[in-house]
Amino acid sequence: MTLGVEERWDLIDKISKATITFGKYRHTLKDAIGELTVKPMTGIPVAIAILYGFWSVFGSFAGFFTDGFFVRLFDAYWLPWLQEIFPGQGGWLYAIMVDAGGIESGEFVLSSNCLESFGVLTSGLFVAIGIVLPAIVIFYLMLALLEDIGYMPRLAVLIDTMLHKIGLHGYAIVPTILSLGCNVPGVTATRILETKKQRFIMMTLLAIFIPCGAQIGIMQDVVPDLMGWILLYLIIGYFIFGYILNKIVPGKAPEFLIDVPPYRRPMLSNIGKKVWGRIAGFFKVAIPFVLLGCAIVGGLYQLGVIQWLGNVLAPVFVGWFGVPAETAGPLIAAFLRKDLAVAQLSVIDMTPYQMVTAVVLVSIYFPCVATFAMMLKEGWKELLGALATLVVVVFVYGGLIHLIGILLGVA
Amino acid sequence: MAEQSSTGAIYFAILGIVTTAFGLADILVTAGGGEFSYGILEIPGDLFRGGWGGVIVLFAGLFYLSGIRNFGDIHQFAKVVMGSILIWIMAGCDIFAMITESIPSWEEEAGPWFNTLPGFLGTYAPPYSPAVLLLPFSLVVIYYIRKRASGESRGGNSS
Repeated sequence: MTLGVEERWDLIDKISKATITFGKYRHTLKDAIGELTVKPMTGIPVAIAILYGFWSVFGSFAGFFTDGFFVRLFDAYWLPWLQEIFPGQGGWLYAIMVDAGGIESGEFVLSSNCLESFGVLTSGLFVAIGIVLPAIVIFYLMLALLEDIGYMPRLAVLIDTMLHKIGLHGYAIVPTILSLGCNVPGVTATRILETKKQRFIMMTLLAIFIPCGAQIGIMQDVVPDLMGWILLYLIIGYFIFGYILNKIVPGKAPEFLIDVPPYRRPMLSNIGKKVWGRIAGFFKVAIPFVLLGCAIVGGLYQLGVIQWLGNVLAPVFVGWFGVPAETAGPLIAAFLRKDLAVAQLSVIDMTPYQMVTAVVLVSIYFPCVATFAMMLKEGWKELLGALATLVVVVFVYGGLIHLIGILLGVA
Repeated sequence: MAEQSSTGAIYFAILGIVTTAFGLADILVTAGGGEFSYGILEIPGDLFRGGWGGVIVLFAGLFYLSGIRNFGDIHQFAKVVMGSILIWIMAGCDIFAMITESIPSWEEEAGPWFNTLPGFLGTYAPPYSPAVLLLPFSLVVIYYIRKRASGESRGGNSS
């Protein structure tokens, strides 16, 4: 039997009348709260509060594990034990694996804590397990909660107008926030942006201005009082250079459409799966790089390469960036591990402003090797463009921060 | 229902004024660069908790005050709920910080790994931040949420 068009519509009407109940839509409290978190007047205060909560819980949780237990475990037990049992004290293998130590009055002196020893099994493990792991766990837990509650799409809508000023749109908040955990998935997530221009801007900004969880964790541990200023400089740089890139990079920055789901109660099993998946990724990608980076930095120190480069580049660091000559070594080592570089900076005698400048330089300096490899996968032209931007940004922004310090009389 | 609405509006108006005052006090104390303590109240002077946190407490107060007019309307009531949510975020963070602070001994070299019982309990002793003091008063909103939900399930108007 074949039905004509009119008969088909009649049949559709009959079926829908028999199966669908039409009622008056009632605005629920959840809907009203959902609307409040999207409108700028009310949504921005809520976003400010959620960011505060995110940061506060992050600091408390990471501090609980790192300062409460891991610092003592590694400094009072693990380091002395390894210093004692590892053979060849003072040799190159000992320096790379356990403790580079120092020379006082012509004698080799062992380090007193894992941030100063720079060994793969001491500093490497301490940074990876003792500092970065708690930071990553709480970061991904909070992120998964916000995603599953349904807040992230609202944040994307809220920040859309602001991100359009830098050639991006609301979705760019996803790679940005993911990068705060690890830049590697952040770079991968730039694929959700539609145009080449957007992907290039996003990738460049991530590589330069977004510190990863490892770096944030160690900054929280060694320079907690200066965190606000460091992050402020990075956020300002993100928007200034995003604006400039939007003006000079050719291409389109289209509008976006997003389906904002209702707020929901998060499911524990979903949260668990997400957090575990991301932490497993961190174990596979980041921890080997931390340990390898630590070994390479230790090797380069043993060969005198970093000291030599430091001496050559010291006038630039002192004259242009206004940081002490001793920071040249860590800033060069930051190419391999930014988190270790921050740890190295923390033991150098500096004014607070010099410390802020040095840590901001570490952040905006070359992306870590893992991010570098991921950017290369996205295309060598994009990588070269991002690196060229990076060199300009480091010199311009680093000099600008120094200039601000001079004008304020604190540099 | 109307009587309950007006009682709720008066309650949250008073809470809104107190919350706004606390938020302003937070910001002023932080701007002054010191700490303020009186009885069981302690206003933190650091930029994070006092400054950023103070701004959030201030917003919470403003949410309460802007939601009290036409309190029965769902959109207005949502503002009051949002004010309470901001207080819960602030107080929750403060309480979580207390919990994480109370468990380890914070010894660097030797000694026990965990805090002593008096040390553990001492962490929870007053003084408290404004958000923690406001927390019990902000919970009253749950009564109104339940009341509204039961009204809706009986077929009442929710607009």
